[in-house]
Amino acid sequence: MDATREIYWNVGRGAIGPMYAVALVALALLGWGGWRLLATWRKGRPVARLDRLPARLAAALRDLVGQGRVLRGRGVGRLHAALFWSFLVLFLGTLLVMLQADLTEPLLGWRFLQGGFYLGYSLVLDLAGLVAVVALAALLVRRALLARRGVASTPADWLPASLLLAILLTGFMVEGTRMAATELSGAPTLARWSPVGLAAAALLAPLGEGDLRALHGALWWGHLVLAAGFIAVIPFTRLRHLIAVPASVVAASQRPRGQLTTLDLEAEGATFGASTAAELAWKDLLDADACTDCRRCEERCPAHTTGKPLSPRRLVQTIGHAARTDPAASLVDAVGKDAIWSCTSCYACEDVCPAGVEHPGKIVELRRHLTLMEGDLPGDEVRTAAEQVEVNGNPLGYPPGDRAAWAEGLDLPVAGDGTRLDLLYFAGCYASYDRRSREVARAFVKICRAAGLEVGILGTAERCCGEPVRRLGNEYLYQALARENVEAIKASGAARVVTTCPHCQATLGRDYRDLGLDLPVEHHTELIARLVAGGRLPLAAAPFTATFHDPCTLARQLGVVEPPRAALRAAGATVIEMPRHGRDGFCCGAGGGRILAEERLGARINVARAEEARGTGAPLVVSGCPFCLAMLEDGIKAGGGDSPPRARDLAEVVADRIGGGA
Amino acid sequence: MKALLVCEYREGKLQDGIYEAIAFAGRLGAGRSVLLIGRETELPRFDGKVIFADVAEAGEYHPALHRDLVAEAARREGADVVVLLHTSYGWDLAPRVAAALGATQVSEVVGLAEGGYEVPACTSKMRRVVRPRTPVTVVTLQPGAFPAGDERGGVPCLERLEVPKAAGAPLMGYEASGPKPVDLGRAEVIVSAGRGVGKKENLPTIAALAKALGGELGASRPVVDAGWLDHGRQVGTTGQTVAPRLYVACGISGAVQHLAGMKRAEFVVAINKDREAPIGEVADVLVVGDLHQIVPAVTARLEETR
Amino acid sequence: MKILVCVKQVPDTGARFRPNPAGTWYAEADLAFRMNEYDEHAVEEAIRLKEKLGGAPELTVLSVGPARVVEALRKALAMGCDRAVHVDDPAAADRDPWQVASVIAAWARGKGFDLVLTGMQSADRGSAQVGVLVAERLGLASATTAVAFECDGQAATVRRELEGGTRGVVRLPLPALVTCQLGLNVPRYPTLPNIMKAKKKPLEVVPVAGLLDEAPRAETLRFYEPPRRQGGRVIEGPLDRLVEELTAILKERALPARS
Repeated sequence: MDATREIYWNVGRGAIGPMYAVALVALALLGWGGWRLLATWRKGRPVARLDRLPARLAAALRDLVGQGRVLRGRGVGRLHAALFWSFLVLFLGTLLVMLQADLTEPLLGWRFLQGGFYLGYSLVLDLAGLVAVVALAALLVRRALLARRGVASTPADWLPASLLLAILLTGFMVEGTRMAATELSGAPTLARWSPVGLAAAALLAPLGEGDLRALHGALWWGHLVLAAGFIAVIPFTRLRHLIAVPASVVAASQRPRGQLTTLDLEAEGATFGASTAAELAWKDLLDADACTDCRRCEERCPAHTTGKPLSPRRLVQTIGHAARTDPAASLVDAVGKDAIWSCTSCYACEDVCPAGVEHPGKIVELRRHLTLMEGDLPGDEVRTAAEQVEVNGNPLGYPPGDRAAWAEGLDLPVAGDGTRLDLLYFAGCYASYDRRSREVARAFVKICRAAGLEVGILGTAERCCGEPVRRLGNEYLYQALARENVEAIKASGAARVVTTCPHCQATLGRDYRDLGLDLPVEHHTELIARLVAGGRLPLAAAPFTATFHDPCTLARQLGVVEPPRAALRAAGATVIEMPRHGRDGFCCGAGGGRILAEERLGARINVARAEEARGTGAPLVVSGCPFCLAMLEDGIKAGGGDSPPRARDLAEVVADRIGGGA
Repeated sequence: MKALLVCEYREGKLQDGIYEAIAFAGRLGAGRSVLLIGRETELPRFDGKVIFADVAEAGEYHPALHRDLVAEAARREGADVVVLLHTSYGWDLAPRVAAALGATQVSEVVGLAEGGYEVPACTSKMRRVVRPRTPVTVVTLQPGAFPAGDERGGVPCLERLEVPKAAGAPLMGYEASGPKPVDLGRAEVIVSAGRGVGKKENLPTIAALAKALGGELGASRPVVDAGWLDHGRQVGTTGQTVAPRLYVACGISGAVQHLAGMKRAEFVVAINKDREAPIGEVADVLVVGDLHQIVPAVTARLEETR
Repeated sequence: MKILVCVKQVPDTGARFRPNPAGTWYAEADLAFRMNEYDEHAVEEAIRLKEKLGGAPELTVLSVGPARVVEALRKALAMGCDRAVHVDDPAAADRDPWQVASVIAAWARGKGFDLVLTGMQSADRGSAQVGVLVAERLGLASATTAVAFECDGQAATVRRELEGGTRGVVRLPLPALVTCQLGLNVPRYPTLPNIMKAKKKPLEVVPVAGLLDEAPRAETLRFYEPPRRQGGRVIEGPLDRLVEELTAILKERALPARS
């Protein structure tokens, strides 16, 4: 006999009508709920996130099926992936049953669920179900344990896994009752291909056939109602992420990470930024439904973990609540100014989010509203700094005429001297004026010279790149500065640019493109690593131990993680990593324009980070950003006075190992 | 050359500035008469003519009336130079007198130079020498620029000045500024504590020096962050931006945020154990040593010589 | 009600100044200019008054100077002034306070301003004369150094900052002129829509020639950096010598205590 089974065994083909009726009701509810979600998202402003759709779909498919984002979270990510993949298999299997029983067999008389294929089919589905049951059980246990750690769960949190587990268990029971009544005695070889069903059947075998049939009927309908119920509640529960996450991933920004929209400031009668849900883009509202409350963002948020009133998760959910209830209500009030100003734009939240939620962009929109529409800034010190940027071109209030004073005695070519620059070193405000960062700039020039590279500078024509004020929302001031810099850089004739500051690098190389500058811009750690690898830098390597603090902008926005480490090792370093490093690195507290602001709420981020560095036992913490350097030095002193580690820039460490000196 | 020196009289008291004006006129080598809009019972100790108008009739602040009185006295005395202090009274009244006399006014004189008066410019970062082109000059003196020496003495001879009837006086009274957050921005002297003070218990020592110098207590960010002082006293870009005449930095190494907040100070004294601390770059005087020993000793010396 | 606010554009005081070739004022190269901080308080106070009086007063902002001062005027317009007047004087740096005040008075005369507000002094010349001289030339009542200001449309009540933590309360019938001290208010940060609107507000350029009828009453002979901060003096050595020297320096540099 060919291996197969009777599809509507026991319930009979008479069940088909009511079954489809139940399914239709579920699908109608799903459709209606889905429509409501869509209507909510459409309350947002238009934004081009469905262009180049085939490429978007392909990328999304790869990410979703591969569970790439989900797997960034190690333990729970694997459970979710296992669950996802097993349900994918179960869904496809159920689809095949439907295909045969309701289409090919009645219409064409074609049965394909038989023979060897059916045996394999049975086994795969059975095992997939088993994997899913185990994963769900583990998830439920985890949730119970979370409560012990103080993370309270609501019934809404318990629902998805419980419902799925109930569906699977009733499914196995249906299979078990059927097998107990049929295959167990009739086709024992066949039964072996459904091991989980077989186990259930063995358990139920003592019942007589009549009882088995009665039980099977009840379970079959129960299973059906549960499955239909699952479909129906998707749009109304956390399960809506089954719709919203794929949508969010398809609509994910395809621009480089961290790139903000360049506003058209001349637009007639425009409002800038967002103060309500309706003023955000539709993707921002979609994000709120994609959020599954998983808290990964919160766990990594430097503001949240140091006791500040910002939670990226709560931010997104507050936006979602507003979008559903009152899209014209003030988000500034609902989110709170302290939360809005606490963000350091470190992008840890966006980077780790399994649902493709883009948190920092929302913060920037709220900040744009506050600065551009209300003239509001997080404090007097920030206001002063912004004014200094406006007047003097740097937030520290030093005279623009002194901008090149750091290079005195170095005899660097200056743009406008008639020299055409090849490699332009855009020093930035800190390297220009901050005593500590000036040492970094001079060390970097020494490295370039040792490698036979001549860098030129813009001199007094250089302005603040505009990143800190832009991150605080002041797009107007940013664009004014950017236009001056773009003009000066173009006039210098430079073919490429190097910076010692990731904020400058991201701004010049990525953001200025919108304003007409199209030049390769490199971070000095990349350049140094390249020079070292190419054998152009004669280093007298001596063994030492160091840890590397990844500047957020460098690691998460620009994806530069390995080059500074390679350069460190070439200089003789044994690199001991901090627990949070690379793409998972922890902020110094100075990003998002916070370098200009006083940290008044919660514990200090830089102290937390300095302690983490101290914990490695390395005597040296190396970085590649003037803000990080200032924050780390400060944090190290605050946490332990003069005790190690010492904070240095990669350029200083490497320059020390150049023989002869320049 | 003849100088008319104008007294300032406030809240029922003759202000001390007149002795600086007397010292200044001495430096000019000018003949001196004093104008007092005050009370007959409280005269400046001055061996010369005091033209007197009764404050009961003229009021302590009545710009139009005082302008007319000063101008009248200047004409009567044939003064070539009318001298006031550069104070809220002086800078308010001097331009009015200058306008009435068709005179030049030279503001905030800090010295005498060849050909003219030396005055500060650009928040005291620069100096100018100004030469008046009118026969009569009105000058206001920067308080403290011409310290009074042993001028106080003698019995003045009084000459009365009739106070004309004038329209209602604008001054309605005085009030205290009241308790408010410390405004370091306008403090003349600031003594700031940095991380180098070590612990909160050491702050009173620094505060005592500030008091001895008649100044305000300030702090660098770490001190405020540590909760030793409240944010209202923080100097720096994240605190207050200050421009005092004298800034004393105790145990402040000189983080860029701090330097940016105090670089407009006219004279900076730093006390630090580290000779290489960045504060040394902006300090006019860097005292290398242990502030816990130096500060109390200096405070004691300042207090005993007051 | 008509209000005039007089503002000056000055170099940022954080700058390092160098004398011009004539040695009479600073060279402008490499300097960053901004609205005089005292004048910003005057602008803010005028706008607050306008808001308080229901938007009725018309706010005119005026500045005397070369073409660059338009930036300061634009900022005042962005903050909330209604119209601007640029008295175009390329040689404004050479004018003495008497001339500047005369030019402003010549322009304002007969235009019916009820209130004139300006800063108590400028950050560069710092004479603290122009405001009062404008009032004298126009025959207005005036008060200087306001740290609090109220106006009901008929009269202004000004709290003047005096030395030693005291304020003098002064009442002036309008028309009047008031000069503003730092701390009078917190000047607003212009919003972007207002910056954009400011670009379309009227800005009248008046050549100085028709307004300047006075000769200077003073001239600058020299402009220079006072001799100090020659790299800073370092005092090291035994404690008693440190104390000795430091005490002497502090006594010299601290103001004599006023009683």
